[in-house]
Amino acid sequence: MIPAAGTGPRSDWVPQRATERVAQKVIDRTRAKMRPLFAVSAIDPSIAGQLAEDLPPEVFRRIISTFEADLSRLTGELTASARLGDTNGYLRAAHSLAGAAAAVGARRLEVEARLAMDPAQPAPPAEVLPRLSMESRAALEELHQLARA
Amino acid sequence: MSEPSGRILLVEDTPTQAEVAKAMLAALGHEVRHAANGAEALGIAQDWPPDAVLVDLQLPDFSGFELMRRLKAEGSEAALIVLTANGSVNTAVEAMREGAMDFIVKPYGKARLKVTLDNALENRALRAELTAVKLQLHRGRFFGFVGASPPMQAVYRTIESVAPSRANVFITGESGTGKELAAEAVHKASPRAKGPFVALNCGAIPKDLIESEIFGHVKGAFTGATDNRAGAARQAEGGTLFLDEIGEMPLDMQVKLLRFLQTGSFQPVGAARPEKADVRIVSATNRDPLAEVEAGRFREDLYYRLYVVPIALPPLRERGEDVLLVARHFLAQFAREEGRKFRAFSREAEAVIAAYPWPGNVRQLQNAIRNVVVLHDGDAVTPEMLPPLPAPHVAPPAPPPREEPRPAPAAPPPVEAPPPVWSAPVWSAPAWTPPAPVAPPVIEPLAQVERRCILAALDHTGQDVPKAAALLGVNPSTIYRKLAAWRSEPAGP
Repeated sequence: MIPAAGTGPRSDWVPQRATERVAQKVIDRTRAKMRPLFAVSAIDPSIAGQLAEDLPPEVFRRIISTFEADLSRLTGELTASARLGDTNGYLRAAHSLAGAAAAVGARRLEVEARLAMDPAQPAPPAEVLPRLSMESRAALEELHQLARA
Repeated sequence: MSEPSGRILLVEDTPTQAEVAKAMLAALGHEVRHAANGAEALGIAQDWPPDAVLVDLQLPDFSGFELMRRLKAEGSEAALIVLTANGSVNTAVEAMREGAMDFIVKPYGKARLKVTLDNALENRALRAELTAVKLQLHRGRFFGFVGASPPMQAVYRTIESVAPSRANVFITGESGTGKELAAEAVHKASPRAKGPFVALNCGAIPKDLIESEIFGHVKGAFTGATDNRAGAARQAEGGTLFLDEIGEMPLDMQVKLLRFLQTGSFQPVGAARPEKADVRIVSATNRDPLAEVEAGRFREDLYYRLYVVPIALPPLRERGEDVLLVARHFLAQFAREEGRKFRAFSREAEAVIAAYPWPGNVRQLQNAIRNVVVLHDGDAVTPEMLPPLPAPHVAPPAPPPREEPRPAPAAPPPVEAPPPVWSAPVWSAPAWTPPAPVAPPVIEPLAQVERRCILAALDHTGQDVPKAAALLGVNPSTIYRKLAAWRSEPAGP
């Protein structure tokens, strides 16, 4: 179960590394925020579609189940780390989330997760987590559709 | 075409990524084990040695690079492939520096994974093959042999090549070069290894008994034949019969052996019917077999029957560094057997051993080391501990060139020729000193010389027969037998 957006994390806390290195911008936050406007899909068909094509349906469905469980666990860890001000835990969870998303082709979720762990993006969790939840739900929905197809 | 498959250990802590990778690997036909952290990976690699390890760099307990270091430290020969989300050159360089064979940037598809793994597994297989070939080329031991020199590597290769066939093998080599070892190696490397290996020294058997020794006899065949007795040919059934000193075999016996080789059947002495035996013959001689044929002492037809695959064993003096390998091997063996502390040779002792030409080959070296171990003790063998070694036969020096009148020397003075290697300065045993031109030695019967030598050795060792035997390079039983024989001799005038 993915935690609801905006519940739990302290609204004023941002990962420490992010505030320290704010001048070194790697990703343009404005563009990153705008990305969903240009993306037509939450998943990258060249990855997710290939997996669905290459693997037996039951294996693909198992991967989606595993991804769903990962999302639930990792967003929970992100929320808890944000609440406790645990920078390492927060970054580790964001890294794992980005990796899991990338593996199934959930590109928009991956981008959001990488933004959350990017030291140049001082976005507070209260802002990041709702976006992650939203992208997670969108990715799962499309993956399930792909599995049913 | 079948896909190359291997044992793949996947080290990945994020379940989704692990699940995707496992699915791809299984689809590629690989056997997969998964570890979610470094410690678990080390445990799996120990119990189930993988062909390749796919390593995520960020693991919960320690980094992927640290895991690679630990795997290598534990002797894993798996191909290491790094999985990373960071495709930077720095990461790639670091991965290679840490011993990775390749790296894959996440996310990756099945095709990329396949190419990387196929390359890595092929590379690993080639490396393993190369290692095996290198080991073969530089083997220090081969069955009973000790030696890594090129001539011995050639011998090992010939033995390996000939062993699986039924071809007869003819071993030549000076005394003490290991002809029986070579015969045993042929047997042990052959499909007959589980069968018997029977060795017979034709030179040590009285002429009138040799037929019975090889082919056996029936009860009453001759005086003393009180029972049926199987000969070496029967005893070697399904295995290998080694006929050492084949050149000593009487001509009439050579005919019978030839018949056995041609037909596979033989007739025990006194038997009415021939018998069959499935035996592979390996023969050996320390003489030049062709010269023996030319001299009429060895049948030409038998020679060609036996001389199918020749193996020429090199003398120890032509085996370079092997002499030290063999010496160290015997020192360790005898020190263990005799309860001595010896661990090594001093540098000087090694120089002496390496310089001496060992005309008696490995057997002589073996006896010399046994002598040292029996009579001395300590951490290292020094030159003084080595027994006196007989001066090797040295060809008479060439006559000096005729003196030609020369102009006054403007050139530098002639450089003195280096001394022969075996007269290295560390060696000072009297045996090496060239004999002074004295009166010719007194010739006396060999039996007397033998008796005098044995008694002198016994005096020297305080009547300790094993030590005296070691000094003389013979078996203690030889001395006991001689002593018994001398005691039974009638008193002299």
